[in-house]
Amino acid sequence: MIGYVLKTVWRHRTRTLLTVTGAAVAMFVFCLVGSVQEGLNRLTTGNDADRTLIVFQENRFCPTTSRLPEDYSHKIKDIPGVRDVMPIQVWTNNCRASLDIVVFNGASPAQIQKSRPIELTSGSWQQFASQRDAAIVGRNIANRRGLKIGDQFTIGEISVKIAGVFKSKVPSEENLIYTSLAFLQFTRGLDAAGLVTQHEVLLTADADPDRVATEIDAALRAGAVATKTRRKGAFQASTLSDLVDLIGFAHWLGFACVGLVLSLVATTTVMSVEDRIKEYAVLQVIGVRPMRAMRLVLAESTTLCLIGGAVGTAMALAALSLGGFAIGAEGATIAFRPSLALAGYGLIVSLVVGIVAGTAPAIQAATVPIVDALRRT
Amino acid sequence: MALVELRGVFKSFRKGDETITPLDNIDLDIHAGEFVSLMGPSGTGKSTLLNLVSGIDRPDSGTITVDGTEVNKLSRSKLADWRAANLGYIFQTHNLIPVLTAYENVELPTLLLKLSAAQRRQRVELALEAVGLSNRADHYPRQLSGGQEQRVGIARAIVAHPKVVVADEPTGSLDAETSEQVQVLLQRLNKELNITMLMVTHDSNVASIASRQLMLDRGKFLEAIRS
Repeated sequence: MIGYVLKTVWRHRTRTLLTVTGAAVAMFVFCLVGSVQEGLNRLTTGNDADRTLIVFQENRFCPTTSRLPEDYSHKIKDIPGVRDVMPIQVWTNNCRASLDIVVFNGASPAQIQKSRPIELTSGSWQQFASQRDAAIVGRNIANRRGLKIGDQFTIGEISVKIAGVFKSKVPSEENLIYTSLAFLQFTRGLDAAGLVTQHEVLLTADADPDRVATEIDAALRAGAVATKTRRKGAFQASTLSDLVDLIGFAHWLGFACVGLVLSLVATTTVMSVEDRIKEYAVLQVIGVRPMRAMRLVLAESTTLCLIGGAVGTAMALAALSLGGFAIGAEGATIAFRPSLALAGYGLIVSLVVGIVAGTAPAIQAATVPIVDALRRT
Repeated sequence: MALVELRGVFKSFRKGDETITPLDNIDLDIHAGEFVSLMGPSGTGKSTLLNLVSGIDRPDSGTITVDGTEVNKLSRSKLADWRAANLGYIFQTHNLIPVLTAYENVELPTLLLKLSAAQRRQRVELALEAVGLSNRADHYPRQLSGGQEQRVGIARAIVAHPKVVVADEPTGSLDAETSEQVQVLLQRLNKELNITMLMVTHDSNVASIASRQLMLDRGKFLEAIRS
């Protein structure tokens, strides 16, 4: 009988097209919102977020306001539990929330290669390490800005030569542009010789991050600038706190999209069953069991929802893959990335919504008084 | 023993303040291979009786037995199974599924039986051949004339080899010439395939093709016009 369902869906093309389109648009938005939520979760959880510490100037938020002595790294390195320290100068074109944020991280090329979870997809480390104004760019921002090797990229007072494009297991990394520390420190306007924005601290396997963070702040208390050290995940969540609230709100938008699909498919299915109630009565006269009539309606609503959901999800994943979207604030960025989990989630939501949307009309089709339905013209 | 037995069948329903009794303590026997027509004025319970025999309606009291199965005691699901295996229903308005071809419409009842694909195909082809529509198998209902649609409806009713075929005004929506063709077809199916038939009609000419004609009025059989 599944053939009957597919033929019904195919031969009521206008209804199918409208319902599928509506479901696809709603699921497209749902998946985009879901990718933002996923991006935030990736940023604040995982090994990189948990086992790395960020030392920042106390009571400062925007990267331009945090100015720590570069030589703090030596003192930090002496603290038990610290494996390595990377002084980083951060420059961003916009400290407020932005969908096209550009963030430069200046650090030692050797340390970047050794400690950051990145892999060049094109270009050379050697050129990056040897050329003063060379930069390697994450593939997300490369996509978004159309950057390729050999390009000169200028923004504000900074002008760099693209020496490589990298990918990373940590999606937010792919929104960054790395330069050498010295290049960024001596950029006009930053006036940061001997200063850095933050120190990134890598821990030994057995170190307790919170204990080490407390010890770092205590050790630097007597220095020129007081520090606040946190796990990288907590640091980024705090930096993006305004955005976190907005993303929490956007989550409701995702639920609203699910509600929209539910309402759309339920309305279409109810109207379809109303229009074809005599057909369902005829099927039962022929010998179709009430439960099977119910399954036919459920299969129809689920098919419509799944097709729409699959199309919307696929469109969203394609847009996320090609668009290189990211949102950021104060130098931290959230990458919107397609993922298998997101695809699976989109399809499961479509399936569940299809079943829920079809339940009431399915019961109607299964319990219709046959004689009354046959009398309808 | 009769194939269809109705004993003391009573059916009434309320319409506003009025109680209507379309069937009042009816007894009826229909033997295997018989062709029974049921006549009577509008609203006298002809279709109600047909619906009770088909198991799509239930009597207030009395028993309806078809080939030894007391159909009025079956659950809705069991009744559906029973209809799939034992009953063919010919509607006045054809009631074909518009999105399915003539072949697919006729095939529908066979999908509910335990048949192989080859057996299904053979049955559908034979049924379409029996009603003279083998060459219209791929046509959709909207591409068929009223008479052809009714013949597809008849093929659908006989394809599962039911024990009983019931027909509710099978020529009611057809012109005279097409009605004549359908009558001949029904008669042929009864005689050649020995299908037991119960047909409701308000047209005495159509009723005359049956081997036994019954007249129903105000819930009772008036007389056997011809047996």
